[in-house]
Amino acid sequence: MALAAVSRRSMSRSLHFGLLLALLSVTAGPAFAHSENGVAIDFVGGFTHPIFGPDHVVAMVAVGLWGAFLGMPAIWLLPVVFPLVMAIAGAFGVLGVPLPGVETGIALSAIALGGMVAFAAKPPLWVAAVLVGAFAVFHGHAHGAELPVGADAIAYSMGFVIATGMLHVSGIAFGALSRWPAGRIAVRAMGAVIAVIGFAYLGHFI
Amino acid sequence: MIGLLRAILPICLLVLATPAWAHSPIMGIGGVFGGMLHALLIPEHGMSLLALGVALGLQQPVASRSGVFIFVAALTGGLVVTAFIAEPALAADILLAATGILGLLIAAAWVPPVVGWFLAAIAGVTFALDSRPEVTSTDEIIRMLIGTGIGAALALALVTGASTFLKGNAARIVMRVLGSWIAAIAIMDLALRIVTRIATG
Repeated sequence: MALAAVSRRSMSRSLHFGLLLALLSVTAGPAFAHSENGVAIDFVGGFTHPIFGPDHVVAMVAVGLWGAFLGMPAIWLLPVVFPLVMAIAGAFGVLGVPLPGVETGIALSAIALGGMVAFAAKPPLWVAAVLVGAFAVFHGHAHGAELPVGADAIAYSMGFVIATGMLHVSGIAFGALSRWPAGRIAVRAMGAVIAVIGFAYLGHFI
Repeated sequence: MIGLLRAILPICLLVLATPAWAHSPIMGIGGVFGGMLHALLIPEHGMSLLALGVALGLQQPVASRSGVFIFVAALTGGLVVTAFIAEPALAADILLAATGILGLLIAAAWVPPVVGWFLAAIAGVTFALDSRPEVTSTDEIIRMLIGTGIGAALALALVTGASTFLKGNAARIVMRVLGSWIAAIAIMDLALRIVTRIATG
């Protein structure tokens, strides 16, 4: 009798344990084994891609900062030029067209753009646009070359471009402080910090 | 063990719950309304309507109205063809390319009427050819395509009408930025599609 009771209890436990295992296995999330670095290849993946690369972040913020520092029409022209050139270069990166010195170009972009803000450089508009466009080539190519085949192309691209735009907007927002004398110092200091980060990337200290 | 199971069970069920897709154009909603949703909820299609609407809104009212009529005419012709043939493989790519060019023109704030009309015609035809619903019944296909035509025409008219009111300096800057984003998304999307197609054969 006692043996039967023990056996029933043991069976019930096994059943519950089995049920628990079944439930946990059914609720397991996807492993994302074939996505880039475990990041989903969708809108969120595209959105986080530029944000999770500090070298890209500082350069894109610097574009916004410089645009705000230069005033109209650079404040909107530079953030318009950057994503357009970046997307074209990104397309070449996706298609596997090689570009030498990508990482160096990205580090130099932070140095140059941060330096322009730090030294309050105000070149002609077309020079600023060409400079920003030239550096956008390196950023775009790097992003494009890292993109995984089979991504949800439209969602990924939307997330990617919107995140880039948001980084520019954050730079413009900070750069708007340059209307006031103290804010001008803060913006130039931020430019100097970005240039130093660029040097750190160039020297492989980061 | 039973306590643990009772605690975990509701969590597991919550995690297991899938979206209801109440507004999905794919599941559960068919007919004319399903076709309208199909036209509006596919991101590439929505983006192309937005780009074309904003581009036409930049033109003078007469040219703008002509552009909308050209789109509707091209769309109607394309939908008639779509009802009888299978979806051409390159329609989506050409629509994306047209969207990218429209985005570039919006960013440049320069949309000559003839170019706008040409792109409206291209967008209308490719939009229609890329809209064949994945259902087997011919009647249902026709109903959904009618809905697609109505939805696309209404959406374009609304976007075009709304963008004609955006005349201020700030609004023009927002439109230029929007155009650059649309162009960038279209270029990247097109590149990814081409590479994925090559990679997957």
